[in-house]
Amino acid sequence: MVITTNEYWACALSHFIHVTVIDTHLGGKMRCGFLCRFLWLWPYLFYTEAAPIQKVQDDTKTLIKTIVTRINDIAHTRVTGLDFIPGLHPVLSLSKMDQTLAVYQQILTSLPSGNVLQISNDLENLRDLLHLLASSNSCPFPRTRSLKTLEGLDDVLEASLYSTEVVVLSRLQGSLQDMLQQLDFSPGC
Amino acid sequence: MACQKFCMAFLQWEFIYVITAFNLAYPSTPWRFKLFCMPPNTTYDFLLPAGISKNTSNLNGYYEPLLEAKFNSSGAYYSNLTSKTTFHCCVWSEENENCSVQADNIEGKAFISPVNSSVFQQIGTTWNIQCWMKENLELFICYIEPLFKNSFKNYDLKVHLLYVLPEVLEESPLVPQKGSFQLVQCNCSAHKCECHVSVPAAKLNCTLSMYLKITSGGVVFQSPLIDKQKVNKDEADPPLGLHMEITDSGDLRISWSSSTLVPFQLQYQVKYSENSTSRREADEIVSATSLLVDGVLPGSSYEVQVRGKRQDGPGIWSDWSTPLIFTTQDVIYFPPKILTSVGSNVSFRCIYKNENKIVSSKNIVWWMNLAEKIPESQYNIVGDHVSKVTLPSLSATRPRGKFTYDAVYCCNEYECHHRYAELYVVDVNINILCETDGYLSKMTCRWSTNAIQSLAGSTLQLRYHRRSLYCSDVPSIHSTSEPKDCHLQRDGFYECIFQPIFLLSGYTMWIRINHSLGSLDSPPTCVVPDSIVKPLPPSSVKAEITAKVGLLKISWKKPMFPENDLQFQIRYGLNGKEIQWKMYEVYDAKSKSVSLPVPDLCEVYAAQVRCKRLDGLGYWSNWSTPAYTVVTDINVPIRGPEFWRTIHEDSTKKERNVTLLWKPHLHKKSNCITSVKVVEDITLPAMEHGQKMWAITPNSLSMDRANTYCDSLAVNSIGASFANFNLTLSWPMSKVNIVQSLNAYPLNSSCVILSWMLSLSDYNLIYFILEWKILNENNEIKWRRIPSSVKRYYIHDHFIPIEKYQFSLYPIFMEGVGKPKIINSFTQDDIEKHQTDAGLYVIVPIIISSLTLLLGALLILHQRMKKLFWDDVPNPKNCSWAQGLNFQKPETFEHLFIKHTESVTFGPLLLEPETISEDISVDTSWKNKDEKVQTALVPLLLTTADLEKGSICINDQCNSASFSEAGSTKITCEDEGRRQSSVKYATLLCNSKSSATDDEQGLINSSVSKCFSSKNSPTKDSLSTSPWEIETQAFFMLSDQHPNIISPHLTFSEELDKLLNLEGNFSEGNFSEEHNDEKSVYYLGVTSMKKESSSVFLTDESGVLCPLPAHCLFTDIRILQDSCSHLVENNFNVGTSGQKTFVSYMPQFQTCSIQTQKIMENKMCDLTV
Repeated sequence: MVITTNEYWACALSHFIHVTVIDTHLGGKMRCGFLCRFLWLWPYLFYTEAAPIQKVQDDTKTLIKTIVTRINDIAHTRVTGLDFIPGLHPVLSLSKMDQTLAVYQQILTSLPSGNVLQISNDLENLRDLLHLLASSNSCPFPRTRSLKTLEGLDDVLEASLYSTEVVVLSRLQGSLQDMLQQLDFSPGC
Repeated sequence: MACQKFCMAFLQWEFIYVITAFNLAYPSTPWRFKLFCMPPNTTYDFLLPAGISKNTSNLNGYYEPLLEAKFNSSGAYYSNLTSKTTFHCCVWSEENENCSVQADNIEGKAFISPVNSSVFQQIGTTWNIQCWMKENLELFICYIEPLFKNSFKNYDLKVHLLYVLPEVLEESPLVPQKGSFQLVQCNCSAHKCECHVSVPAAKLNCTLSMYLKITSGGVVFQSPLIDKQKVNKDEADPPLGLHMEITDSGDLRISWSSSTLVPFQLQYQVKYSENSTSRREADEIVSATSLLVDGVLPGSSYEVQVRGKRQDGPGIWSDWSTPLIFTTQDVIYFPPKILTSVGSNVSFRCIYKNENKIVSSKNIVWWMNLAEKIPESQYNIVGDHVSKVTLPSLSATRPRGKFTYDAVYCCNEYECHHRYAELYVVDVNINILCETDGYLSKMTCRWSTNAIQSLAGSTLQLRYHRRSLYCSDVPSIHSTSEPKDCHLQRDGFYECIFQPIFLLSGYTMWIRINHSLGSLDSPPTCVVPDSIVKPLPPSSVKAEITAKVGLLKISWKKPMFPENDLQFQIRYGLNGKEIQWKMYEVYDAKSKSVSLPVPDLCEVYAAQVRCKRLDGLGYWSNWSTPAYTVVTDINVPIRGPEFWRTIHEDSTKKERNVTLLWKPHLHKKSNCITSVKVVEDITLPAMEHGQKMWAITPNSLSMDRANTYCDSLAVNSIGASFANFNLTLSWPMSKVNIVQSLNAYPLNSSCVILSWMLSLSDYNLIYFILEWKILNENNEIKWRRIPSSVKRYYIHDHFIPIEKYQFSLYPIFMEGVGKPKIINSFTQDDIEKHQTDAGLYVIVPIIISSLTLLLGALLILHQRMKKLFWDDVPNPKNCSWAQGLNFQKPETFEHLFIKHTESVTFGPLLLEPETISEDISVDTSWKNKDEKVQTALVPLLLTTADLEKGSICINDQCNSASFSEAGSTKITCEDEGRRQSSVKYATLLCNSKSSATDDEQGLINSSVSKCFSSKNSPTKDSLSTSPWEIETQAFFMLSDQHPNIISPHLTFSEELDKLLNLEGNFSEGNFSEEHNDEKSVYYLGVTSMKKESSSVFLTDESGVLCPLPAHCLFTDIRILQDSCSHLVENNFNVGTSGQKTFVSYMPQFQTCSIQTQKIMENKMCDLTV
């Protein structure tokens, strides 16, 4: 369903007016509740005004494709011993996506290689987009800002930096492709 | 005693307490303290007398004499002491009233017993001690002097300071060992001692332990051990950098700085005085390094001094700083300078002192650049003396020479002080353009500084703030921003590179202009890198001509980034130096190729592709590298090449060489045509454009014997062309001549016209071949194929004028090539003729133009002459007396004459004494029927006329009979003026409308010449023979062009009527009755005459001179006299002598009064007698 900003606005506003009219009949208690709900939606309305949902969805898919293309050249065989890197498990919800991307971003940030910085930035944008999508779907999941330090990451990076980089990029690519498919089916919160 | 015991017990208890509780704890040294010393074995059973303050500061005051007396008494006690008696001292300070006394020698076992200081003051001596660290933190100074100087005035004073600085800072200092003390000899003079201890910088935080040994008069005063914990600066140096300025809010700001960095906070004392109309002084203690003084007045001077002191803990005031004097100007602007951006609002305030009086703010006006008064609506009165002006919506300051600011003046009404405030308005609209590269990993932003070059001394910096996603609707300057390094490029632009980037983040950027007057920010702009992508150009671009279909197919691959849908632009064209591109756009993001029709498949085409996001965001990529088609045989050639032949005969070898000339039809690199088949059985290889020699021997091909059919086929790998050019080489046909003439006309150096004439022929003419070349030169022959229907052809080529060209026109028949018509030069005759014609074309218009101009000039001259001629004869309509009259109505004349009968004035300037004539000759031949005329004439002409003859004719030879007999206009009256008649007379030229059939009726109306050119030759003769024949310049003319009904009631009209009747008589009844009612009125034109003059009345019909009716003459003269009687008299007097005469030309319609008329008649009679 494509909801433009104006439609969203109009819907919300009409709902608010409708509720207000009803509240005048029902009493002040319900009015306060609806008003609070409306005020809770208010920031999202403003945020979605600048970025229509359809555009956010398109940008999300495009950004995923861009990241996939960035790491397209990397191919590797099966590597063991890097279990802390999220595997190719399908992620079904937006919050799972965000958590997975947060782990990838943390690993990429830890990599000293400069050419993954751009991908790390892309992941940041992608996570912001997912949050925006979640907000539009009224999914109040907190942003995974601070992750606990991955155990043994530093040791692994010191011992097998190249392998880690290859594997993380490869798995990230797979995860992104999964996410791309999931986005077509309107993932849940 | 009980009390004393109690005190002792208390002291004991305290002693035990100190020993047990603090063990060897040294007292912390106060900044200033006193050392009370008393001899050993002294009991403390004294107390200070009541009323003596414990405050040491009072010791120098009222109580000093008292104590002095006490110590004087104790001085005797000193003398009783043995040498080297040691006084033990205790330390007393303001903070600690108890005096700490060391019970034993410092070298021995030390313990401290707190004793009330008042006890020592009674029995011992007192020393004032002051210690501090110098500002540089390298010197510890102690200053020692006895409290009562008189006690030691007779003794030398020696002071030693023993100190120890532990190497390592210890948290709980131990008792220093005896040998660890260092001895410092203090400098004493006049009972003052000063001890200096050098403190290494590394030990600033250490605790200095010391004690003093004061020797005086053999008595040693030994202080207890004193700790100076954490050696710090105790005395500050005077502050430096004292500065005063007027703040933007109009306050006086006094600022200074500390001389060196100190580890503790200082406080400052500011002492300032204002010297203006009134003087005020103040001092304030502040902890900051600045002080604001409000109420600053213009034209005042401020003197300021500052000193510093440690804010917390011990310390002493430093010396005062050097006084600084600051004088405010007579006009104080606050702020004195403003730097702002375009469109903003700023305010200035000022206080103006004029002639020792501060101007009231109500009287202050503001001017800009001394040229423009700022409207009073922008003023605000802030106080009694402070005026404020607000300048809204400022525009950029236009630099005037080196002045890059606007000068704002605060004036006292219309008198401005020379000081002004400076206003810098800078246009900070800096456009920042950004572009993301094709790899989506780098964003380059560029901006120029052209807009703010005028602001010298400013630095620019790009600052940005990144929003996590997208841009806000209205970009704004964020409080948290980061600077970005930008580098100046050769093109004057700054370039900043962001890498890596956040593709979907909003980068809000602005330029910060830092200047000494402040900083300005340009309007922020926000970009999302994803929306400003300039993609990489499409790759793998190929161009080819599709087989069989024959289309130009261009294919490509989209770039790797961006992942968005793309649109493509394709340009293609014939390959060459300057390719004429054709554009084609593809909006299908999935398409990877396109096929386009092209006109010539045998040409090489170049093609390029570029792309851009389909949604329009971002930029077009660069064009891809061009791809070129490869020419291949795709189809059978459409047409064979055009060709022509030249024949060169070699008479010696009897060979005839045929040279085939080819049009540049075949492309050099084209493989579409591989060969050309000229003769049916001879195939030539593919030839380049130009010529190819083809040797035909007589044996193999004789043009004499056979017709050789040539057909030019274009052949390639697929087949040969079907539409071809053919040519039959036939010798017999070469004699067929159908071109009769051939002419060549050069138009210019690049174009020649050829025309030809043909004769009838039975052969089937197909087309012509036109050859041309420079004569006598074996250079390239140029040729054209011309359709047979063309009779004239334009050759566009570069012709050299000095060269001779040979033109040949070959008729081409189906049977062969006919005989050419050859000319070796341009057609000269025709050229000349053409040139003549050209000259004719030029000259004829010139002649026509000249004639037109001449005719126009003549017409103008004629009008001028006519105007000049008649200019002196005023139109009555232009006269004042004729204003409002309509001369078309006969009543007008009636009223006119009635009106002017009463008063007629003449301008004397119009009259000029001239001699009319010496002779008078009135040729008359009118009939006697009109008796009125005769009777009217008789009185006038008595003197000269022969009345006996019953004729008016005066002359002896008057041919009255013939005149009357003729009954027509042929007036034969002839003047015989040679008889020296004394009568002055004029000649009237009458244009009588007597005969409607007369051809020359209107001639007289137009000109005199026509009048005189009438067929009445005797008149001419008479004029020619008469003395006035030359200068007859007065005319009285009648015409029917302006028919006016003349009223018979007026005198003159009557006379005129009579005259017209006379004219009617002349016409002998040809005049109809109707014409009698309407008479044409003519003006009398008279000019001066040098010698002789006359008025000529010439009839229209006859064109001869008519005898002047007497009334006409008299009327003329009467009017003259009426206007100026004395002139008349003079004139007539002169007239009698034959010298001068008056010619009246003005009052044609004026009438003389009766009296005047009579007088005139009488005078005339007198004259004629």
